[in-house]
Amino acid sequence: MPQAIRSGLQRLTYVAMSILLVWHTFAMVIGPAPESSIIGAARSLAQPYLTFFRLQNEWEFFAPFVGPGYHFSYVIEDAAGEKHTFTPADRLNNWHPNSIWMRDRYTVIMTKPDVYGDAAGAALCLEHALLHPVSVTLLEVEHSEFWPVDLREGKRPTDAEFVKAKTLRTVSCPGR
Amino acid sequence: MTTSAASRNVFQRLIDRIGLVWERIWFQDSPTTPLEISRIGIGVALVQHYIVATPYLVTFWGDDGWMPRTLLAEEHSDPWTQSILFYLTSPWQMYAFHALFLACCIAFTLGWRTSWVKWIVLAGQLSYDNRNPDMYYGVDSILACLLLILCFAPIGRALSLDRVRQVRAAKLADLGAHPRRFSSRWAFACTRLMQIQMAALFFYSAVGKIRGDQWWYGDAAWRVFSSADYYNEFVLRVLAQNFWLVNIATYAVILIELAFPFMVWQRRSRPYLLVGAAFLHLQFAFLMNLYYFSFVMIMGHMSFVFPRWLQRLGAMWKWRIGPMEMIYDGHCGFCKRSMAGFLAFDGLRQIQVRDFRTSPSDVVSDEQMKKALYLVLPDKRALPGFEAYRYVVLRVPGLWWLIPFFYIPVFSRLFGHPIYNWIAANRSRL
Repeated sequence: MPQAIRSGLQRLTYVAMSILLVWHTFAMVIGPAPESSIIGAARSLAQPYLTFFRLQNEWEFFAPFVGPGYHFSYVIEDAAGEKHTFTPADRLNNWHPNSIWMRDRYTVIMTKPDVYGDAAGAALCLEHALLHPVSVTLLEVEHSEFWPVDLREGKRPTDAEFVKAKTLRTVSCPGR
Repeated sequence: MTTSAASRNVFQRLIDRIGLVWERIWFQDSPTTPLEISRIGIGVALVQHYIVATPYLVTFWGDDGWMPRTLLAEEHSDPWTQSILFYLTSPWQMYAFHALFLACCIAFTLGWRTSWVKWIVLAGQLSYDNRNPDMYYGVDSILACLLLILCFAPIGRALSLDRVRQVRAAKLADLGAHPRRFSSRWAFACTRLMQIQMAALFFYSAVGKIRGDQWWYGDAAWRVFSSADYYNEFVLRVLAQNFWLVNIATYAVILIELAFPFMVWQRRSRPYLLVGAAFLHLQFAFLMNLYYFSFVMIMGHMSFVFPRWLQRLGAMWKWRIGPMEMIYDGHCGFCKRSMAGFLAFDGLRQIQVRDFRTSPSDVVSDEQMKKALYLVLPDKRALPGFEAYRYVVLRVPGLWWLIPFFYIPVFSRLFGHPIYNWIAANRSRL
């Protein structure tokens, strides 16, 4: 290959590499930036790239607030009318990755009970088939703030005075 | 000189200066070693994560699971969000895809056919993320970002089976050959991209925190450990007795996250920032059980490791172990082939070789050499056959994967010696 063509190709490669670097850096910086008119305009330019490669993240870990949180709970009513309460997160092994997946699942059910309630209810009826369930009531249990003084008094964040249960939905078990 | 010529000259100097700065930021000659460490770590994390997910495959990502495609279409419908799993309809197809993905993750970790395997790993990771976005959390975002950068990068050129294959091919022609170690300006640019990614992540994380009163007033750490998801009674008891630790922990997190993106670029402050970031993530791993997240973050930080640190570490190891000389039979084709394969894993070039047919040793006699390969140590000790290999695999990092075979108590020696002796006796027929 003649020297001139080789040198031209090298220059072209260099320019292409530089453009890719500028573009990707722009996407990395613009993706998590807070919304404003200028950022919005810049982001709309990069949006397909950000979405396709899942680069749009806010990187706000535990920020700006750390809430006391919620946990998911449910009550199974059996054929005899007896009620059994379960808190599935208590059964999770924190060292197993499924503890994170399951917590995500519970969060989604609590966030969108109308969308996910039926599927979750059906799965829980199946899981507790031995109880002959009639219905499942899905609950969102909201925690309140818990301070060192509470701990020194022998209380725990899960004690009744620190939690408030809210009924999300009651789902009939299939076949009932 | 006319005015226009002078201004052209100034303009040209300015352009040259910008060009130099640009080169310094992005295009220095560099090996891929820091990126290879990230590759291996991220690969291990992916393999472990997705193997554990296998029993839940259909539940998490199937049509009969948590997110049927009809529901997904209602909730998330961006045409730029794509997943191979959108096009797989039956469980067997999902399991086949999962098996292929796991195989590629293993190949990615080992650095086998890395140049194309890395793209399959990225496509697989994005496919799982997009098929059930409700299960997607921080570490998946980080993985997607790091994997894309690794796809751009010329990885697989060191600490990989691809490199082993390249070295082996050269050594088959000449056992003393040492193919040049790979380095390129593009490798440096991609390392820089990963560094910017980690710095941006810390910057936005810190800015997000200082916007909140809980971080500002220093009690956020308490709130984390007393929250529903990260409740840790032991930590809470310690913090309740010493509430000042809560303030220190809270402000230390902000300080590290804020200082990192600004001070990690300086040569002198980089080690301290890296130690700080690693310490932070080890706390997350052990106190909050976020070990997957923490491990992936630490692997991202590996991009900040200067290649010369690794070179020094390698040199120190080599010096500590001392030189080793393997003496082989140059008339034996099988011996040369197996030596080429073995030496291909010696990335630090710790082992010297000698063909006793052309260069007899003054430590081991030719009669001894005809029976077995020998390893000669600096104190003139000579280890024959199986014992030579056994000694070497423990001292050459690239061969550590063989340790389980050579160091099973009793069994390794019980079977190793007869197997080696049989091969040595029949080597001319192999």
